[in-house]
Amino acid sequence: MNDTFEDRLLAELKAEIVAREARTRAPGSRRIIRPRFLAGAGAGIAVAAATAVAVPLVAGQQTPAYALTRHPDGSISLQINEFRDPDQVELDLAKMGVRADVTYLPLGKRCADGRAPFVAGDHTSTSKEDLASKDPAVQARIRKEAQKLASARAIRSEHGITIRPRFIGPGQIVLIEINENPVPPDTAHPGVAWQFSGRLTDGPVKPCRVVDDPGAFDMGTAGPPPGS
Amino acid sequence: MRREQTGPPDFARDPDAFETFYRRHVDAVTRFLARRAADPHLVADLTAEVFLAVLDSAHTYRPDRGSEIAWLYGVARNTVLAQRRRTARELRATGRIAGRRLLDADDIARLEERVDAESPARLALEAMADLPDGDRALLELVAVDGLSPSEAAAALGIGQGAARVRLHRARRRIQRVPGVMELIGGTK
Repeated sequence: MNDTFEDRLLAELKAEIVAREARTRAPGSRRIIRPRFLAGAGAGIAVAAATAVAVPLVAGQQTPAYALTRHPDGSISLQINEFRDPDQVELDLAKMGVRADVTYLPLGKRCADGRAPFVAGDHTSTSKEDLASKDPAVQARIRKEAQKLASARAIRSEHGITIRPRFIGPGQIVLIEINENPVPPDTAHPGVAWQFSGRLTDGPVKPCRVVDDPGAFDMGTAGPPPGS
Repeated sequence: MRREQTGPPDFARDPDAFETFYRRHVDAVTRFLARRAADPHLVADLTAEVFLAVLDSAHTYRPDRGSEIAWLYGVARNTVLAQRRRTARELRATGRIAGRRLLDADDIARLEERVDAESPARLALEAMADLPDGDRALLELVAVDGLSPSEAAAALGIGQGAARVRLHRARRRIQRVPGVMELIGGTK
């Protein structure tokens, strides 16, 4: 590995630039951004990334934007546009008693693996071979198993992204990564509008080291998330 | 108005453009800092601080007013001065990216070599300590950091004429300090 201090610093600085751009873009440009969710309806599909020990879980499809909402059952829903100001989301969630670490990146970038430990409830017996399988039956089985994991109970792709605090253990942190396509897909140019992965961790959470995710634009053969 | 229209340069907004800028200059920046700090950890912290300051102050960069490196050394110089006003503890507490946290053993060894290689420059800078501030700043950037007099003037935000006068005065004074001319290469 020729990964040096200079490389690691560069990665942090690039993440800082992305975060700053997201912060400066978020407040003033809502009117422009909102239509992309309407225009992209039916075109955007997100794919749950898989790793050997646990499946980061949830996949989302865009819906018209509305505000962070607390439901009668205690669950909290957020819309993609709210994540463009990750610091604010963390603050808002903290006020609702949820510790969260939120990263907003353009589609095509992601945080390198190994940012934070997996919680015990996310370990699965699924083999590496199965996770890489293209067989729809195997993929469906993995998705079904994934829904039972601790993180999937706590973070779901309903009403945008829904967090269910009663499934978050003491001291656990909600780790969310949003990757939004800077070029909104439409019916003429279908594509991935945004992608999101969320899971629980006991911490500590390391800073996001931004790496390329060239496969993110590929809608592939993955179906919409179950129940959507 | 013009600033509103043009905005900060690409290297402060576009991660890929920033990477090009960073790779072009990161070695020069760590060497600049190794001439002013003998501790590899502090050099790492300062390197992170300098490039964060680049993002903060990119709107002050004017391509028509001298080279990138002149502007960058101006930023680096201000970062070092700010650091000297604080303690190391404060620097770590306020730094948004703690450079030293990103170091591994190989990096520390490499930065130590760089710090050693710059020890004559650190001696020269110490020898200049008694010069008046404005004169010293110019002599540092020209004789120790290798900028041209006009680049150094741009880095410090002063006019070319004033820079020439100060540089001349600084050279004359420093010649009276034994040993310094050898350290800074005499004729520079």
